[in-house]
Amino acid sequence: MPTHARPSFAGLLAATLTTVTLLLVPAVPAAAHNTLKSATPPKNAQLTSLPKEITLEFMQELNPAYTTITLSDAAQQKVSTSEPAVTGTKGTITIDQVLTNGTYTVAYRVVSADGHPVQGSYQFTVADPTASPDAAASATTAPTAAPSTTPSSSTAASSAVAARDTDDGPGAPLLIGGAILAAMIIAAGTVVVARRRSTRES
Amino acid sequence: MTGPSNRPVSRRGLLTGGALAAGGALAGAAAVTAARSTNPEVRPADTVPVAQVGTAVEPFHGARQAGVTTEPQAHAAFVTFTLKPGTDRAALGRMLRLLSDDAARLTQGRPALADTEPELGLLPARLTVTFGFGPGLYRAAGLDDRRPPSVADLPSFRIDRLQPHWSGGDLLLQICADDPLTVAHAQRVLVKDSRPFATVAWVQQGFRRAAGAEPGRTQRNLFGQLDGTANPKPGGPMETAVWIHDGPDWLRDGTTLVVRRISMNLETWDLLGRTDRELSVGRRLDTGAPLTGTAEHDEPDFDALGPDGLTVIPDFSHLARAHVTDDRLKLLRRSYNYDGAPAADGTADSGLIFASFQADITKQFLPIQRRLAERDLLNEWTTPIGSAVFAVPPGCPEGGWVGQQLLG
Repeated sequence: MPTHARPSFAGLLAATLTTVTLLLVPAVPAAAHNTLKSATPPKNAQLTSLPKEITLEFMQELNPAYTTITLSDAAQQKVSTSEPAVTGTKGTITIDQVLTNGTYTVAYRVVSADGHPVQGSYQFTVADPTASPDAAASATTAPTAAPSTTPSSSTAASSAVAARDTDDGPGAPLLIGGAILAAMIIAAGTVVVARRRSTRES
Repeated sequence: MTGPSNRPVSRRGLLTGGALAAGGALAGAAAVTAARSTNPEVRPADTVPVAQVGTAVEPFHGARQAGVTTEPQAHAAFVTFTLKPGTDRAALGRMLRLLSDDAARLTQGRPALADTEPELGLLPARLTVTFGFGPGLYRAAGLDDRRPPSVADLPSFRIDRLQPHWSGGDLLLQICADDPLTVAHAQRVLVKDSRPFATVAWVQQGFRRAAGAEPGRTQRNLFGQLDGTANPKPGGPMETAVWIHDGPDWLRDGTTLVVRRISMNLETWDLLGRTDRELSVGRRLDTGAPLTGTAEHDEPDFDALGPDGLTVIPDFSHLARAHVTDDRLKLLRRSYNYDGAPAADGTADSGLIFASFQADITKQFLPIQRRLAERDLLNEWTTPIGSAVFAVPPGCPEGGWVGQQLLG
């Protein structure tokens, strides 16, 4: 197919620059997307008392019309909660039922300032020694074995959360593209080095 | 066309030309394009022989006007007029006799009377001319008491950015045909014959897929979405949703029409990933199936939850906000795309000439429109810039004229 056995350095450079441009264009909105900043209770928390509410803080202001926060149990059954109360960048749901011990999933669906939907989820575990034992929960919950690293109550301070973000905005392609770009720069460098060597040897 | 449909191909060409098998988003887009063309679900079925497209005829005379439940033609011009001050009930009668005669001839492949380009009148290509009466026509005729109550200026919505030169109008002619030259000629004849009575208010020209390109399929808008999936099915549901079945003879067998010009921001829509687009719409882009289904006409399940506990179809999606199941509340959407010249910097001037027929605007169109204005994520990329409402009077028998039941 190719008529030239070896791509010229200028051609490679031009192609690289083109690709850089194409990859950088979507980078601007990607940076503008809303993301979860912190959560209470935090991701993977081992709670020894029952949480009364869940508060998620985001990087951007939330639009109450487009903010969903849900809580579900290990059997993927929805836990009864209030609608999210939104204040600035924070959304809070209050839990309307008494939780049994077990693993819970917090999920959110919000909209960035630029309209892009953002959704994700994380889990925490309730292991309250005073709670009534629950068959379903005890199967999935570890005993309160490591309380040293566990916050003493549900009022634990917020901590940064790296939640599973299912937003498919340009973020993921950007990372892939970046990796390709890095590989190309290395390849271009290799060609340059190879050409210099061949010049010296001739 | 210079639209965005060419973009993935040209970008792919650019990259492979640079001897780079680029991964990431661009190759992804190319893969989607390739996959679509080989997918038998999406591949169009048999096509109509080209020779038949030009000579095909839709009836003009009848109890109901054509151009409503008629299978949408490929091209349309929505032409509206402002009546001149002297155009009263009698003058309206003269005007509508003349325009009905033009339409009756041209739709049947015969040149209009005194047609200055008679050769252009010979290929009707399923031409229809549908008459719509705006609130101003009833006032001019001194017959405001005969105006269907729901044919009145729509309330203003939070999302509206209406421009006067795309809004209102006393008389509408919806001219549709499978051939753009036929539409242009019919528009010329009808505008010329309107001159003694009215001035042109606005004209919106639009298009769908070419005749026979995708027979029987829901059309796509310039966002790539299927548009009109939720239309009432032919037969009973269509009868219920579209036509007025009782009342005086100037209403019976009529309907109403809402025309809204919806600007679509392709610049910001282009920045949205495929999954985000589907979450905004609530449907898959390729098949048009709801996110809970596999086929376009599957009934959406708004209660279905994903493994993380979120509803599979977001409550802010267009589908969730627009969905109605009762045929008495549905709209017959018969929209056309528009695509103006891009600005010097390439910014597109694209959108949708939204056109919906329904028996009653207040009962059918307004509730849906209110829900969409309140919280439809698609509003982020769409802006209504024009709005007009019309009563579509019943049709006329041979030798009659449209509007004779009202004005005669």
